[in-house]
Amino acid sequence: MQKKIKLQWKKLQGSSYNGSDIKEGEREVVVVAENVFKDFILGASIVSVLKDVSIKVKRGDFALLMGPSGCGKSTLLHIIYGLEEPTNGTVFVDKEDIWGHSKNWRAFFRNQYIGFIPQQAFWIKSLSVVENIAIPGFINGRSYRKSVERAHKTLEVVGMEKWARYRPFDLSGGQQQKIALARALLLNPKFIIADEPTGNLDQKSGVQLMELIKKFNQEYGITVLMVTHNPEQVSYATRVIKMVDGKIVLDVDDPNEISKMTNEF
Amino acid sequence: MNFNPFSKFIQKNKNRPKEKWKEVHMGMGFLMILYISLKNLKAGKIRSVLTIGGVALGIGVITFLLSMGFGVQKLIVEEVTKNNPLDIIDVSNGNLDSVIYLNEESIDKIKKIDGVGKVEKKVNVGGKIILGESQTDAVVFGVTEGFIELAKITYQSKENKFSNGENRAIISSRLSDLLGLKSVDETIGKKITYNIAVNQDISSKFSKDKKFENSETEIVGVVKSDAIVIYLPFEVVKNSFEVDLAQEGKVQINNMEKYGFAKQSLEQMGFVTESVNDLIKDIDSFFNTVRAILAVFGIIIMSISVMGMLNTLSISLLQRTKEIGILKALGTKRLDIFKMFILEAILISFIGGIIGFLGGYGIALLVNKVLIFFGQKVGVELYYFVYVPNYFSGLIAGFIFFLGVITGIMPATRASGIHALEALRYE
Repeated sequence: MQKKIKLQWKKLQGSSYNGSDIKEGEREVVVVAENVFKDFILGASIVSVLKDVSIKVKRGDFALLMGPSGCGKSTLLHIIYGLEEPTNGTVFVDKEDIWGHSKNWRAFFRNQYIGFIPQQAFWIKSLSVVENIAIPGFINGRSYRKSVERAHKTLEVVGMEKWARYRPFDLSGGQQQKIALARALLLNPKFIIADEPTGNLDQKSGVQLMELIKKFNQEYGITVLMVTHNPEQVSYATRVIKMVDGKIVLDVDDPNEISKMTNEF
Repeated sequence: MNFNPFSKFIQKNKNRPKEKWKEVHMGMGFLMILYISLKNLKAGKIRSVLTIGGVALGIGVITFLLSMGFGVQKLIVEEVTKNNPLDIIDVSNGNLDSVIYLNEESIDKIKKIDGVGKVEKKVNVGGKIILGESQTDAVVFGVTEGFIELAKITYQSKENKFSNGENRAIISSRLSDLLGLKSVDETIGKKITYNIAVNQDISSKFSKDKKFENSETEIVGVVKSDAIVIYLPFEVVKNSFEVDLAQEGKVQINNMEKYGFAKQSLEQMGFVTESVNDLIKDIDSFFNTVRAILAVFGIIIMSISVMGMLNTLSISLLQRTKEIGILKALGTKRLDIFKMFILEAILISFIGGIIGFLGGYGIALLVNKVLIFFGQKVGVELYYFVYVPNYFSGLIAGFIFFLGVITGIMPATRASGIHALEALRYE
């Protein structure tokens, strides 16, 4: 009941969007964040990280969230991924008001529909590379055999099959991010959410990873929402959202404008 | 590029209504959680071995001590009950304030008590046994065949047996030796002479003590015993020496539920009762005290093991905080994280418990065997005294499960409650 009241309150306070008008132009709008606020309480003070942020991402977009450190882009990403609850506002992912559901529902949704690549790859140390990739399958209740079989196929796709039996920490940063991508792809997600995946990589490894992500975006229509600091990566994007101080200052999806931005770098 | 390993999966999931997510999101299977828990234990080998070793040591010490305690208790009870069945109450004519004898009248009364089966009597008088030049003092028992049976007196015999109406005797092996008879074969069939002195108390026929000399009987059986005794049929003693009152008897209870009532009724009649049950109660009470002391030692040792387990699981939780974070971020349910940690604690406890139980029992058996071996060397007869009753095995199994759950609850609750992002940021 409290949850319902909270939701109603949020809708009244922050958002006019009800999730029904999901089409915009030719492609379907699949991620909608409306009037999102996020405050953090630090001791006696309240820090506002997101200040009335609204974005829309269409199916098949390669959306880059850019901006200086501390501008709130990772926080927005975590809110869309269902890890960080907004103070106010609504978030619809694939027509689902994700903050109107239970924790377990969000856990299921993340597992089933969203592939996640963190900045620093996190692993279960006791498991091999292929077992780590199979984790989303295990979480989903699939058998060990089926999950690992699928993990092997996914490893082939990212060109890392020969490392299957290794421990993830035995691999380089670039290799680890490739297998993090493989893990994100395991359950054939509709979305990939990536939080500065190339942040800790050298340039060559970063390019390789971006090429792979782009390939899955283009060939399988997986919608990508990625946080980055690197302006060179604008060339991969179909949408660029720029944030400064908790607000959206730029939201471009015109290829010509993006091309101009690429040339600037 | 010709890749799509998930085409079947895509087709299958395309039309799946999201509302039915609960049916789909089963969470991790038990075997998967077990697998990850085992892998985690294997990954921290030294830590796991030390923790499991701590539990094994605790359970091992408890099993070692208690298996010997149970064994010694069982051995004593078996020895006590070997010739004294649990359904027999010994009655005697009691104390000086209330002297009562077993006669036809009192035996009839006893038989009418609810739950009582057979009643058999025994009288004892002092006597002298003579065989040729050899003679020795002995206790002469006048008993019925039924008494021999209830007292589980086993004797070696030939064709003639001890019988109520026949003038035949059973003597102890010690008496046989004193009479100069070298073997059972030589003893059985021998005719002996005896003199007895009958106290006036055990006869209603005379008022003074009487002596009877040069009575004869045939030995038909030898009972292995160090006591110097001879058993004659009660009828013979009664007919020959006018003894008609017995000082002692054995009352068999045919319904053990009525045991207490029968015993109480006998005591109300004025008899002093004695039963192996009373002795067993005393033995049990003693061993219960011993076990309680051992249990205290065990609890102290187990407390140390529990602290070790808690320490290991807490460190494991800290070391794996990021793992918990990524598992949660990827969609693991709180309950599955909880299960993972609790299962790890149960595994530690279970593996340690099994090793400890088998080890403790094995060492106790080994100690027992070594003692028997050295006992034989120095000519002391020792027995197997290690025993674990089934209920104790069940208790140990229950205890190690309980231990696992108790020690696992705190870290499991903490792990399942950690926020995914906080866990991922943990340093």
